[in-house]
Amino acid sequence: MDALRDIVGPRVSNSPAELCCYSCDASQVHGLPEYVVRPLTTAEVSRILRLAYEREIPLTARGAGTGLAGGAVPLRGGIVLDMSGMNKILEIDVENLQAHVEPGVVVEQLNRALRPHGFFFPPNPGSSSVCTIGGLISNNGSGMRCVKYGTTKSYVLDLEVVLADGSVIRTGSKVLKSSAGYDLTRLMVGAEGTLGVITAARLRIAPLPKRRRLIMASFESSELAGMAVVKTFSAGIVPSACEILDSTTVKVLRRCDPNIVLPDGDIILFEVDGTDLSTAEDARRVSEVCAELAQSIRIASDEREMSEIWAARELVGAAISRLDPSKSRVYVGEDVGVPMKEIPTLMRKVQEISDSTGIPAMKYGHIGDGNLHVAWFIDVSSEEEWARLRRAADMIHRAAIELGGTVSSEHGIGGARAEYMEMQWGSALEIMRAIKRALDPKGILNPGKLDL
Amino acid sequence: MVDVDQIRRCVRCGACRAVCPSFEVMGWESFNTRGRMILIGKIMDGLNGSWALESLGTCTTCALCSQMCPAGVTPSKVVEDARRVLASRDITGAWQRELRERISSTGNSLGETGRRHGWLSMLGAEASYDIKALDVKADQVYFAGCMASYRYSETAARTFGILRRFGVSILPSERCCGSPLLRTGLDASECMEENLRQINEMDVDVVITGCAGCYTTLKNDYGLKVMSVAEFLAARVSELEIRPLDFTVTYHDPCHLGRVNGIFDQPRRVIKEICELEEMRSSRELARCCGGGGGVRAGYRDVSLEIARRRLADAPPEAKYIVTACPMCVRNLNEAGGHGRVVDLVDLVAMACRR
Repeated sequence: MDALRDIVGPRVSNSPAELCCYSCDASQVHGLPEYVVRPLTTAEVSRILRLAYEREIPLTARGAGTGLAGGAVPLRGGIVLDMSGMNKILEIDVENLQAHVEPGVVVEQLNRALRPHGFFFPPNPGSSSVCTIGGLISNNGSGMRCVKYGTTKSYVLDLEVVLADGSVIRTGSKVLKSSAGYDLTRLMVGAEGTLGVITAARLRIAPLPKRRRLIMASFESSELAGMAVVKTFSAGIVPSACEILDSTTVKVLRRCDPNIVLPDGDIILFEVDGTDLSTAEDARRVSEVCAELAQSIRIASDEREMSEIWAARELVGAAISRLDPSKSRVYVGEDVGVPMKEIPTLMRKVQEISDSTGIPAMKYGHIGDGNLHVAWFIDVSSEEEWARLRRAADMIHRAAIELGGTVSSEHGIGGARAEYMEMQWGSALEIMRAIKRALDPKGILNPGKLDL
Repeated sequence: MVDVDQIRRCVRCGACRAVCPSFEVMGWESFNTRGRMILIGKIMDGLNGSWALESLGTCTTCALCSQMCPAGVTPSKVVEDARRVLASRDITGAWQRELRERISSTGNSLGETGRRHGWLSMLGAEASYDIKALDVKADQVYFAGCMASYRYSETAARTFGILRRFGVSILPSERCCGSPLLRTGLDASECMEENLRQINEMDVDVVITGCAGCYTTLKNDYGLKVMSVAEFLAARVSELEIRPLDFTVTYHDPCHLGRVNGIFDQPRRVIKEICELEEMRSSRELARCCGGGGGVRAGYRDVSLEIARRRLADAPPEAKYIVTACPMCVRNLNEAGGHGRVVDLVDLVAMACRR
């Protein structure tokens, strides 16, 4: 404690209240730290890591703690490094199409700063108003627009990383492309803080589209909706968002915001962006392609209506108890992804799992890139329901892997899904373990995660 | 006393973390709503809870978290209830005990010993509202509250000067409404009984108040028919003989008047009768807190004033005044650097009144 205080002054705590609040994120993974430290500079982070390295203290970096897989939960105790105080936007460099930020910058804060320049940072998870860039990078998070724009890894040009022994490296540069050696930037993206602690990030930014249009198509079943998605993409259309909302999700959305006008049934929201002319053309084509399968199709272009629908969509995951106050949403098995062609099969399998375990679910997500968020909801005071829920989660993870997919598309592995790493990766997991040993020989960085 | 279902429904998404005013200042997880919900969960599981006192004590009960919560949880209410649980276990801060002592011995939250309705003398000889001569029965009474009575007596006098023209009276021996006690988890039955007795004796139908704290307490804790001064002025604006003023102001929504009780349009209607209104960076349902409520000002003054400084930064520079409708907001914002730029709605009306 004294050694940490020497480095950060009063920004270290071991009070029971703090340790308790830093023992969890939004997942079901828990672990109590021994110290919480809130560094403000790279130099401080470096000194803290050197200390942890010398004394072999486990260290877990954390952003806003919005993770859904326990990535920021200190499973082996030790130090939690709360990076959310390093929240300065260091530079917006429009001429070079990039922004330089500290890891604690909140995604929406960055977008607010970019908007006057006519730019934006495309990865937009539902937690954009809360989550930090550091956490987003460490989980290779994404969001609704990534179906067109790509995930976070496509937007990281350079990272400043403090390694396990406290040394500081840069993994890239200002250039937009490079073919010089191993891509350490991408190695760090999605590493969940197991290889180093990110202290600054240079991010690529994109020009804001002039126009967006929303096509709302409703279907008799989620399987039909999935077929419409496959058909749309294979017709050569690339929407800027392609979200599925099953009929339960639609009901929850209406409870969240009674002003929202959505059709009944299972819905696909396609968004197209571009110019006035191109979006009108794309919207028409999407409608034509979906016409055979859909019950109804409506095109919205009113900015306010669209932003209301997207705002409600962003938060819908947490809102299930609006439909049934006795139930709570539990984040397990919530982030599987499959190849696009397998989407209808996945939809059917999820329904089968829900039927066979008796655990209801709302299904929504970034269906355009094969990513389905299954929101299981149970009475959290019932042990028996918990047991069935865990079975359902296990079944969906296995189903995704069998379909050639992934147990996590954007939320990460953390402690919640570590047991599936071997099944998903086979011998490649050994390579990951070798990399981990090379960069963190003492195993102090976020131990217990990713099955490393 | 805490609705445990609310804690179960919290999925720890952190939507509240992004907007919590005390967290912005303190920076530690235990000082944001999500942290508080986690700690309250532990308290309800049977943990003693003394170590959660500071976390719970720094919540201004501004209810922005309740506004933002996707799961429909109202953490500001849960925090208040949890404070009650702690108090029932005799876990209170020194500042809470002092507050209780002040109110119990002087009848006001400020510990003032002077006459509560001393401001009546400001209304001048010709008005001469001697308290003894005031009505025995009245349909409507003005409830000034501790802050206006002792710190903004001119505002109180101006308010009553207007209200009296419409036949509004006052209670003979008004006491603190109990808001500071209730918001911090303490028992307020003594205050409530004393005020209720007078209200009943006078056959009062509607209580009118210019304080957001009194408003929410009289309405939601007492269960009375309550009207804010802002509503009253909006309804009578055409009778006030107002002369337009040539400047721009902004309006700060007091949390317990706006977000908690939905009074947004009435104060704005009054302002627009007088001058130009330019909104603050966040307003109405999303207005940020002045930091003065929920006992934070009494218990954690530095935190309270830092929240207020951040709120001041939301005001558009062209606004000559930051108008609000609560004396606690007026005080906290002015002390945090408002330097008199923050005024009550009644003060603005007084500037514009021909009479």
